[in-house]
Amino acid sequence: MIFSTGSLRVVCIITLALSTSSARGQTAKVDFNRDVRPILSNNCFACHGPDEKVRKGKFRLDTREGALEVAVVPGKPEASSLVKRLTTKDAEEAMPPAKFGKKLTAREIEILTQWVKEGADYATHWAYVKPVKPAVPEVKDAKYAIRNAVDAFIAARLIKEKLTQQPEADKYTLARRVALDLTGLPPTPEEVETFVKDASPDAYEKLVDKLLAKTAYGEHFARLWLDLARYADSAGYADDPARTIWKYRDYVINSFNANKPFDQFTIEQIAGDLLPKPTLEQQIATAFHRNTMTNSEGGTSDEEFRNVAIVDRVNTTYMVWMGTSMACAQCHTHKYDPITQKEFFGSFAFLNNTADADRPDESPTLPFWADEVLAKKKGIEAEIAGLEEKLKGKKPDEMKPERDKLAALKKEAAALKPTTSVPIMKELEGAARRKTRLQFRGNFMDLGDEVTEGVPAVFPPLPKDAPKTRLEFAKWLVSAENPLTARVIANRLWEQMFGTGIVRTSEEFGTQGELPSHPELLDFLAVDLQSDWNVKRFLKQLVMSAAYRQSAKVTPDLFERDPENRLLARGPRVRLSAEMIRDQALTAAGLLSPKTLGPSVKPPQPNLGVSAAFGGSIDWQTSTGEDKFRRGIYTQWRRSNPYPSMSTFDAPNRDTCIVRRARTNTPLQALVSMNDPVYVEAAQGLARRMIEKGGATPADKATFGFKACLVRPPTEGEVSRLVKLYEDSKAKFAKDAAKATQFATNPLGPLPKGVDAVDAAAWTVVANVMLNLDEMVMKR
Amino acid sequence: MNPNLARLQAITRRNFLGASSLGLGGLALSQLDANAADNQRDKDDPLAPRKPHFPGTAKRVIYLHMSGAPPHLDLLDYKPELVKHDGEACPDEYLKGKRFAFTSGVPKLLGTKQPFKQHGKSGIWMSDAIKPLHDVADDVTVIRSMKTDEFNHAPAELLLYTGFARQGRPSLGAWTCYGLGSESANLPGFVVLISNGVQPSGGQGCWGSGFLPSVFQGVQCRSKGEPVLYLSDPPGMDRDMRRLGLDAMKDLNEIQEKELGHPETRTRIAQYELAFRMQLSATEVMDISREPAKVLDSYGAKPGAGTFANNCLLARRLVESGVRYVQLFDWGWDFHGTNPNEDIRDGLTRKGTVTTQAVAALIKDLKNRDMLKDTLVVWGGEFGRTPFREGRTAGGQVLGRDHYPDCFSLMLAGGGIKAGHTHGESDDLGFKVGKDMVHIHDLQATIQHCLGFDHTKLTTRFQGRDYRLTDVHGKVVKDILV
Repeated sequence: MIFSTGSLRVVCIITLALSTSSARGQTAKVDFNRDVRPILSNNCFACHGPDEKVRKGKFRLDTREGALEVAVVPGKPEASSLVKRLTTKDAEEAMPPAKFGKKLTAREIEILTQWVKEGADYATHWAYVKPVKPAVPEVKDAKYAIRNAVDAFIAARLIKEKLTQQPEADKYTLARRVALDLTGLPPTPEEVETFVKDASPDAYEKLVDKLLAKTAYGEHFARLWLDLARYADSAGYADDPARTIWKYRDYVINSFNANKPFDQFTIEQIAGDLLPKPTLEQQIATAFHRNTMTNSEGGTSDEEFRNVAIVDRVNTTYMVWMGTSMACAQCHTHKYDPITQKEFFGSFAFLNNTADADRPDESPTLPFWADEVLAKKKGIEAEIAGLEEKLKGKKPDEMKPERDKLAALKKEAAALKPTTSVPIMKELEGAARRKTRLQFRGNFMDLGDEVTEGVPAVFPPLPKDAPKTRLEFAKWLVSAENPLTARVIANRLWEQMFGTGIVRTSEEFGTQGELPSHPELLDFLAVDLQSDWNVKRFLKQLVMSAAYRQSAKVTPDLFERDPENRLLARGPRVRLSAEMIRDQALTAAGLLSPKTLGPSVKPPQPNLGVSAAFGGSIDWQTSTGEDKFRRGIYTQWRRSNPYPSMSTFDAPNRDTCIVRRARTNTPLQALVSMNDPVYVEAAQGLARRMIEKGGATPADKATFGFKACLVRPPTEGEVSRLVKLYEDSKAKFAKDAAKATQFATNPLGPLPKGVDAVDAAAWTVVANVMLNLDEMVMKR
Repeated sequence: MNPNLARLQAITRRNFLGASSLGLGGLALSQLDANAADNQRDKDDPLAPRKPHFPGTAKRVIYLHMSGAPPHLDLLDYKPELVKHDGEACPDEYLKGKRFAFTSGVPKLLGTKQPFKQHGKSGIWMSDAIKPLHDVADDVTVIRSMKTDEFNHAPAELLLYTGFARQGRPSLGAWTCYGLGSESANLPGFVVLISNGVQPSGGQGCWGSGFLPSVFQGVQCRSKGEPVLYLSDPPGMDRDMRRLGLDAMKDLNEIQEKELGHPETRTRIAQYELAFRMQLSATEVMDISREPAKVLDSYGAKPGAGTFANNCLLARRLVESGVRYVQLFDWGWDFHGTNPNEDIRDGLTRKGTVTTQAVAALIKDLKNRDMLKDTLVVWGGEFGRTPFREGRTAGGQVLGRDHYPDCFSLMLAGGGIKAGHTHGESDDLGFKVGKDMVHIHDLQATIQHCLGFDHTKLTTRFQGRDYRLTDVHGKVVKDILV
């Protein structure tokens, strides 16, 4: 089994950072951020870092002043206790202490020694320095295709590494890759045909523009954002009751499709309710932070879990926008990054004054009324007001008919229900406002001094005269001064297109995160994105690059050298997401519903006969009609039981913010795509299309099916192998017609008139195989 | 890092484990040794068996979780003083600054109504509510000084299984497979069995992989219906037909591999073959009707039922087939006293008898097969129950107790744990640990120790930090080890 994420840190740092310095020769100066800080952070900061409470020997190594006080004499390694204690044979003296369990390598000690020799210079952590647009490298070697600035940065590095690019992938491969990446769906046959036949130089660009304009684009990118927003259709914890919040999901889809500038998208979600005269849409946006879990288990304290939700909102905000793990600082001052516990609660204070409070009814919520119901409601309310006016000052025994009428009207009004609703943020006013206090060890009952709103000092401050409100906090996240947000978002969009971020740890840009593989490129992209926050334009720039358009072919040597394709000497090739795998199969089968937006749906899933603790059954009544075949983004997301087939393909349960999904390769996935009735149904659908529309001969039909799945036409060898499978299966099914009928019709239903069951069953076997090919679940 | 090792890791794509060796070390090298010793398995299989930090006393774990938390004062922790003061107002000193789930004001002390006696040569105290366990008293260790930090089900279960009271971290079973791999090439390494149709409060987080690769998460198997989701071929497709399809798939994937040169294609071919084998072996191992009637009767198991007894027998069959970690959840231990089944008198005797028949049978069965010596069995809940009557039900006829985190009991057997041993004490009335406290993190450290791990060194790096099951805590409880 292969893991494409959560790995390779060591290898990367060495091959991507240090080897380049050695390539430049031994005389190259040690770079603090690149070479020294990771060593100190991994091995020393836990005891000699920002957290004063656990600091040992009363000295710190995370600042130059601290280091010079005790451990370091610049220029003199032999006089520096730092170097001595790293190299001593005396077990009592040796650092790090044996019980800490870490040991520096000879190479690491060498780097630290050289660093001290060179003067022990410190530098602010790279990601905390505002990005400046670097000059685009000039690439003179005509071997490298340079289509835009992205390519110049990539090629400059390839030249340094003595590597070359792959040629552009063939048109079919390219069409499938870019359609999957931009819309989550394969291209339609018409899109493919137009593109392949179009010989003009901007044929590809036309395809890209077409794809970016499709509604499917917003549905696809919403998936990424909903992972970050921890969106689910249930409230979480033990009983995990249903939660109605799909209007927020639709807000995200619509925002991507409208290409809403990312800064506006940010402000609406964090503080839409505080904008002047907020629109309905801006209020719905604030459901972003209402996706935190609500605990309805008997005997739990609402205030405790309200606090848990606020902590989650702080962590999620910093994680999503600034790639900063604040969670550590909830209970103690951060051990690696310069963020104090008090500063954590400064951010907490911005978010601590909304009206929601872990209530089972999720109030406050925003109701949505159908027009006719709303009209009726208004009418009744007017009538009620009139009657009440009439009854004013009358004794209780007077005007009985009017009183009866009033009671009846009230009952009628109460029976009118909104079509749906969405939990929202609402700022508390006046006396209802809460004071924020520091919570010792993160315990909401063990309180310290009052803390007021503020951002950590390591980041740029809020504008001087700005009020300290949630709205200002939101604006600060996307302000031009913020060094992280643009980098983090640019990196995340890059990761979607290329499989791995320029900073591999897309969730962590602090000192414990990895260094970027192409620092200048990242800064270029960050400044570029920040200039207009135009997400579609930004993505277009990525997919227009020659780097993106390369063939994914790889030689054993290159694979060994760069298994994760960080240098992009070939095109991206990674596994598709759970939703893409499902949507693609339904598309090939001709079953996928084009319906967009609206309440979540319940596609078929196996009955487990299990209930959530203290809650209702996990099983559900399958949606009917086209709702059975909607895109994966619309599948009801139940935290206690995420949709099983998607969960097998690494879809998270979304209890908390997920920045990076794993991309595993397991036998349980094989069982899903071979045997899950949803995939069997897709195979049956595809088989029927092959029979009806695929042409005259078995070879024609196989070719049709292959293209429906993989876009490209098959080779002769592939066709003959599929036809052989068809013939072998047909011969077997011919001996057992009952089996054939079952395999061709359960669960899709009776065959169309004139279609032979044995034939259909044999083609279903072929379709099942095609839907399970390696190429099917991978970008090519 | 040794560049050869880096290269090797890149080639074998086993680097996800290598990454952890940057942290607290040890694992990557020992794992490579294990590979050399075990060439039966595909080198790309992350569940291939690996050697731990040092030779462990347990090779596998069966964890029997009693969801809801058993009333330990009526089962394993006999408190005659509490019986003496039964019905008296709870002393103020025990209530000050405390929060309880369903009790406020001053509750009444509640002495046990269950007869208690010492059992076996070791003289372990057990009540008559768990009579079947009396027979195995000399095979087990009872800890009477457990402590947790949480008094609601979900957070307490998550703390127990993931070391953290909120969702999102890897579970004990996931850590175990991450460290040791699994001996079975045809079954998942970590299997979860849920009895009586109700999930535990902590939900799937109790067997999740957190930020470890999802291949280490528990696979829920069922004693009723299809044992693993989507295991059966679709209706109308037989094994021969599946084989035909897989052969074609392999040929086509090999064309793809030749053209693009991506090793992951090779892995995918292998995974489909493993799935094909698993279809057969999982069906076989989950079929308890293959057991002799004598064995079925000893557990109280009946083929086709979804009971705890069936699942105990399945647990034995699974570990016998090489599964590394089996987690059971049995619903129905939340003895608040809200209905007669939750009465600590008859209700408890009924629940205790039927449950512990299967537990005792499992211990004896493992012992007969000479597997108890290296199989660690744990039995217990997520916390204990109060020495006083629960507030809400105090006016009724049914006797119940509230949730209690400060002191409770737990039982372990096999896998290097002392046989016939009692560890720790509660104070006279059972409110606090009197001697030798064992915190949840200490239990975790001890289980990992039995498996051969230094709990401070079995780590993974996530969001820039090395994480481990015991967070920054945990001390191995040496006194209960052989």
